[in-house]
Amino acid sequence: MRYRRRASPLHAARAAAGGAWCSALAAAALAAEHPVVLVGLAAIVLAGAAGAGVLREVGRVAAWMAPWAVVIAVVNMLVVRQGFTILARLGEVPPFGQVDLTLEALVYGSLFGLRLLVVASAFALFTVAVDPDDLLRVLRRASVRSALAATLATRLVPVLAADARRVEEARRCRADHGGEGAAARVAVLRAVAGNALDRALDVAATLEVRGYGTARRGSAGGGRPWSRHDRAFAASAAAIVALTIASRVAPIAGFETYPELHAVAGGTPAAVALVLAYAVVALLPLADRRGIGP
Amino acid sequence: MAVALAALATAAAGCGLGAGPKAADTQLLVSRDFGAEPIVQDDQPQTGGSDTVMRLLQRNAPKVATRFGGGFVQSIDGVSGGRRDGRPVDWFFYVNGIQADTGATSVKVHQGDRVWWDFHDWSATDDVPAVVGSFPEPFLHGVDGRRLPTRVECADPKSAACSTVADKLVELGLPAARGGVGNSFVEDTLRIVVGPWRAVRGDATIKLLEKGPATSGVFARPSADGRHIALLDAGGKVTRTLGPGTGLIAATRVKDAKDTVSDPVWIVSGTDAAGVDAAASALDEGALAGHFAIAVSGGRPVGLPDRTS
Repeated sequence: MRYRRRASPLHAARAAAGGAWCSALAAAALAAEHPVVLVGLAAIVLAGAAGAGVLREVGRVAAWMAPWAVVIAVVNMLVVRQGFTILARLGEVPPFGQVDLTLEALVYGSLFGLRLLVVASAFALFTVAVDPDDLLRVLRRASVRSALAATLATRLVPVLAADARRVEEARRCRADHGGEGAAARVAVLRAVAGNALDRALDVAATLEVRGYGTARRGSAGGGRPWSRHDRAFAASAAAIVALTIASRVAPIAGFETYPELHAVAGGTPAAVALVLAYAVVALLPLADRRGIGP
Repeated sequence: MAVALAALATAAAGCGLGAGPKAADTQLLVSRDFGAEPIVQDDQPQTGGSDTVMRLLQRNAPKVATRFGGGFVQSIDGVSGGRRDGRPVDWFFYVNGIQADTGATSVKVHQGDRVWWDFHDWSATDDVPAVVGSFPEPFLHGVDGRRLPTRVECADPKSAACSTVADKLVELGLPAARGGVGNSFVEDTLRIVVGPWRAVRGDATIKLLEKGPATSGVFARPSADGRHIALLDAGGKVTRTLGPGTGLIAATRVKDAKDTVSDPVWIVSGTDAAGVDAAASALDEGALAGHFAIAVSGGRPVGLPDRTS
């Protein structure tokens, strides 16, 4: 899963705006309590991925996270003793004492897992739809060295992966298929590690020649002007954050899990209203399809 | 057949689907300062199947906040653990007058259990292993849902105080055996030791009281000669010392070398025969309710720790 420029409003937006938009969705999921809000945010992230033309990639991450969400729910139910609604009694289990499986613990774990799934999906969308080079240019203003290290890492890892594929293919092309088992894999690893060291030396020499050791901060005001997509996603991110803060401060769409499942602060109607508000402010920028070409 | 046996074994082990049967006839007391100020006093609290002490509290007490993953109570009705006037204060619970070894989420509530949550200063001790304020528990419904045999051990089995204590237990429907002090088989037995302090202090568990609340959990310290009983406040300081005619009703438990805690031992004692008689007379629910222990002075019960400044 990697970034590739596509014809979508999110790809057309600058990295700062796109990144803020994805992060705002993740923050909204972290702050959400009501299951309706979490499910709604999951749908919004997937709809955003569809709008950006990366539903398959983000959907794959969501599908990979789903079993983990189930594991979290089950583990929480096994270790937490809170909750009034007992689903099953496991009796006295030394040294834990009375162990009961409760609906509340299952729901709490499920919500935690769902929250994790939404956050992971939001950052998967970030990964595939936000230009890492543009993002690193933004970061360079804050810290040149960190941005440089991140740039090298993001560039070198795919290169080393390609190296590994090439060496592996070369190994298999040998008459004896290059051997089998751990010894063959170690041979490939050794070749790739050797290449990595060579490349590191080359990169260091290049950086020195280009004077990166005396690198200056990039100018804050430089670069291209803000496009309509930049402004739309930045405004959308700000609106999502504002909604999240308002929902916590007001509070609205609260949900208490222990000791009994209980919707508070407006309950489900407020949660539905909050999801609709999130959907409008988050998905509106994706509706503008003008000027989205790569 | 095998399936039926497995199902039977599972049910016997307390396993099964759903909440299971409710514990009937339970009572809940929530108080502060060693029972001095009741917050919740409910003789018919709401219960659910397989309730734990924590669930019973959450069903019936206002605004219960927990910590450490829900295993410990932080506050009830806004009364929060921490420090008060520089002294540590927290919530503690007792089931049938016995402090639990595990968290409230692990202790199951059984039929007839009396659950008592108390918020108090634990600067003198955080370990009060047994209290008398849930009388006639633990004698009626026992420990952890298991009724235990009761034995009245008297310094003088023919004394009036010994008969008074035994008769009061009989009135409660408890067939208590009588015998001499320390002569009984004590494992899985609730003991009530009756007699003047100098006559009963030879019992290893009872002698703990002379070491003070940090060891015994009782806020009264009888003198070694048994002529005086010093009453202590919540901080473990002596507030007054009572002389002849003073009675004492308290309960404690002892740990063995393996850190195993014994069943509670109740003490009905006094500085002299008159004091023991006064204590025996005070052995009833009305006098003991809501107290960790009591001294009897001038025929009147004095709750311990002593609140006289």
